[in-house]
Amino acid sequence: MNRITVPALALCAVAALVAPSGAASKGPAAGKTVHVGVISDVTGGAGVYGTPQKNAYELANDDVKSGKIDAGGANLSFDVQDAASDGAQVVNLMQKFITDGSTAIVLGPTLSGEAKQAFPLAARASFPVMGTSTTAEGVTAIGPTVYRDALAESQVIPTTVRRTHDRWHYKTAAIIFGDDNAFTKTDGDLFARELKAAGVDVVDSETFHQKDTDFQPALTRIESKHPDVIAIGALFPEATKIILQAGKLGIKAKMFGGNGLNSPDMYGVAGPAAQGIVVGAAWYSGAKYPSNVDFVKRYTAKYGKGPDQFAAQSYAAAQVVAYLVAHGATTKDEMTSALKNVRVIQTVLGPIGFDTNRDVKSSPVILSIVKDGFTYFH
Amino acid sequence: MNALATFYAHYSQLVDQIGINALLALSLSVSLQAGQLALAQAAFMGIAAYASAILTVTYRWPMVASIVAAVLLATLVAALLAYPVRRLRGVFLAIATIGFGEIVRVVANNLSITGGAEGMSGLPQDAGTAMVYAALVLVALALFGLSRTKFALAVALVREDEHAARGVGVDVGMVRTFSLALGGAIAGLAGALYAHSSAFITPNDFGFERMEQILVWCVIGGVTSPLGAVVGATFLSVLPELIRFLADYREITNGIILLAVIVFAPGGLASLWRRGAVRIHV
Amino acid sequence: MFAQQLLNGLFLGAVYALFAVGYTLVFGVLDILNLAHAAIFTAAAFAAFSLAAAGLPLPLAFLGAAVAGGILGVVLDRVAFAPLRARNAGTLAPLISSIGFAIIVGALLRGKYGVDEKHFATGGLDTAPAIHLGAVTFTTVELAIFAAAIAMMLGLSWVLRATTLGRRIRAVAEDRVAAALLGVNLERTIAATFFIASALGGAAGILTGLEYNSVTLDMGSPIELKGLAIIVLGGMGSVTGAVIGGFVIGAVETLAIANGLSEWRDAITFGVMFLILVARPNGLFGKRALRQA
Repeated sequence: MNRITVPALALCAVAALVAPSGAASKGPAAGKTVHVGVISDVTGGAGVYGTPQKNAYELANDDVKSGKIDAGGANLSFDVQDAASDGAQVVNLMQKFITDGSTAIVLGPTLSGEAKQAFPLAARASFPVMGTSTTAEGVTAIGPTVYRDALAESQVIPTTVRRTHDRWHYKTAAIIFGDDNAFTKTDGDLFARELKAAGVDVVDSETFHQKDTDFQPALTRIESKHPDVIAIGALFPEATKIILQAGKLGIKAKMFGGNGLNSPDMYGVAGPAAQGIVVGAAWYSGAKYPSNVDFVKRYTAKYGKGPDQFAAQSYAAAQVVAYLVAHGATTKDEMTSALKNVRVIQTVLGPIGFDTNRDVKSSPVILSIVKDGFTYFH
Repeated sequence: MNALATFYAHYSQLVDQIGINALLALSLSVSLQAGQLALAQAAFMGIAAYASAILTVTYRWPMVASIVAAVLLATLVAALLAYPVRRLRGVFLAIATIGFGEIVRVVANNLSITGGAEGMSGLPQDAGTAMVYAALVLVALALFGLSRTKFALAVALVREDEHAARGVGVDVGMVRTFSLALGGAIAGLAGALYAHSSAFITPNDFGFERMEQILVWCVIGGVTSPLGAVVGATFLSVLPELIRFLADYREITNGIILLAVIVFAPGGLASLWRRGAVRIHV
Repeated sequence: MFAQQLLNGLFLGAVYALFAVGYTLVFGVLDILNLAHAAIFTAAAFAAFSLAAAGLPLPLAFLGAAVAGGILGVVLDRVAFAPLRARNAGTLAPLISSIGFAIIVGALLRGKYGVDEKHFATGGLDTAPAIHLGAVTFTTVELAIFAAAIAMMLGLSWVLRATTLGRRIRAVAEDRVAAALLGVNLERTIAATFFIASALGGAAGILTGLEYNSVTLDMGSPIELKGLAIIVLGGMGSVTGAVIGGFVIGAVETLAIANGLSEWRDAITFGVMFLILVARPNGLFGKRALRQA
């Protein structure tokens, strides 16, 4: 993988012409080698989320070589290791990366629960880590070297409820959420809190389990309460089935959800049934940031399917690390202090920074599914 | 010594996992030795893990006290479980105890004191390697001591032929209750230590997948002896890291290894250097 | 609402039952738990997806994939069970070897299809015309699936009762040694058992994939443990018991949710199962019901 192909060079030249910021520059770290450890669930139960993350880092590796991601001339590489959706492997990988003496920062793991197991190791070693999909409460509070570029559900759900309520003026709502997963459980809790705060009567709350396929009993019960809207606290594999089955049962209530629904599968799999569904998210695949347009195009070309939010947030983390490297951070200590001084970095998520809690500074986007894609919800 | 220190610096987490997993395998092995396919170890582990974590975090109990209390609770629950399942054998016992485990998981998922699906985070991680292995040695010695008593003979008799055991005056119900309770105690110890060495616990840590894992460790190591349980747990805890270089082929290799050990090493891994051990049909 | 929930439970139960009859057949004949049954369920659904994507009409894709599931079952037997049978290895070893086989199948599927959800171009629930009958709504797809599941279970029952193969299977289930002495070819009968059991399990997977128009790597995981519960509940090895167990579990789950207890669903399901086992330690239909099937 070390050779640079002619097309890659050509791409690099084109990139230099059209987007000067995309061309490789010579920074203080030029010529140095920087290893980044990535922990992802490529296999196992969370493989459907970890695989797009792995894809994004592979693309980032290509892009650093071609100069599309500017790492200041440093030899930057992302080493993706599979944790097989096993907490023990996440912890072991984290320890390996922390102690191997050459890793400058760790990105991942995939799930919040895994992060809560492994990040304390990093915090104790004052080792910089960045979650890209670990959205649960309390993740960054684990320690002063723990960051995330993933917008927490608590940053997304309130806006989603407010915007849909402003637009639709609903009086009653039902919630359906997964109660055996930290991410979807947080969704359920936040929806309940925010809907009540908006004066909406929550007439029913139903739960499901990860990997469930049949949601008809729960949806039948929801329909018997005639809610105006249904809030969905799910990840896309379950959300598509909920939407399809609601359509089959003739449920007319409008539906919305959070980050977990931000996947091309929503319209790709749920098709007509998904029309008009509102999704509060951290990233919009159609956003016009130059690097995003390029990222979506090339990711789609490389993997035959558009990126989802897991991929985008991972790619953004790669861009953040490249930015820090281009500005001279090549060791874990340099990374740690550089992260403290980040102001604004241009990524596929748009311009982002970090607040004093080391959470990402960015605003949620509220999207709506129209035909074969997302558009802004107005 | 230096190399060992370096190794430990890189793999201390794995070393602790091996110790705890070995305890879990031993706890199942105790049931299997008595001929009981009782598969509630993950539930006992979870009950103790939550008890110990709640006592430590919410009620500020010292670590050792919380572990002792948690082990007692797991033992009690196991002993109580023995009563309703006393007439169940073989796969019927297996599925009833798996069902019990699922109930425990759902309860943990719905209680507020356990934190539900969001789990309990920020646990102190105050049980180090020394403590884990002290517990393992203690349990191994206790099991070894037990194997020298008349009671072990009664256990073996119950395993091989319940009717014969009754015929010579063995209290079968007592033997079964005791072995389930002892298994519960050891699984509880493992769970309490898990809660004190992991920063985070969630109900899914103690579900059917964990139970399946424990069963695989036992059988791959060899069900004929406690040694087999320890060997199996150790081998399969290390395996994912050992074959990490295989990258995309790691998952399939894992499956092939399980299949190959079962097919080509009838008595499990431990039998490879312990030929001639008694074969048990559970 | 109640009528609709009843229907929801029936549709769910039919697929559970179809999955469980194959599962229990293997146990009835061989006294082993086949933990790769859910992997075959999944593999057959992917096979149906591939065949349909290659342009085969759905009924043919269904048949082809069910046969593929059956063949995979025979391979499973040869690789994971036959060597153990030859040395009379008890019931624990096959549990683990079938887990190993399931991991291999899962890894191969992931390698070939990737992690993304697959769906049938012809559609499933989403595009099938809905039928409104009084208070209930169902689709033609659901109806077809229900009919297919019932037909296959009746077919199995007929095969076991009225054909030579069925008599052989029951003879082997009754007493392997005696059956061999009477001239039954053991290995061939066992292979046939695995073929039938796995074709039915595979059919359940294909129907599930069609019903929800979704084929995924972990589609077998919700049914894996429940399938086990169902066959034990029915009385290991009893085909009738597995069918009834499937409908019982489908109904219990649906009723739990219908009564607003969705967060306790699995606890209720397994609680009911636990109580039935405590009351009837050999399940609803005893152990050797296959003989009289």
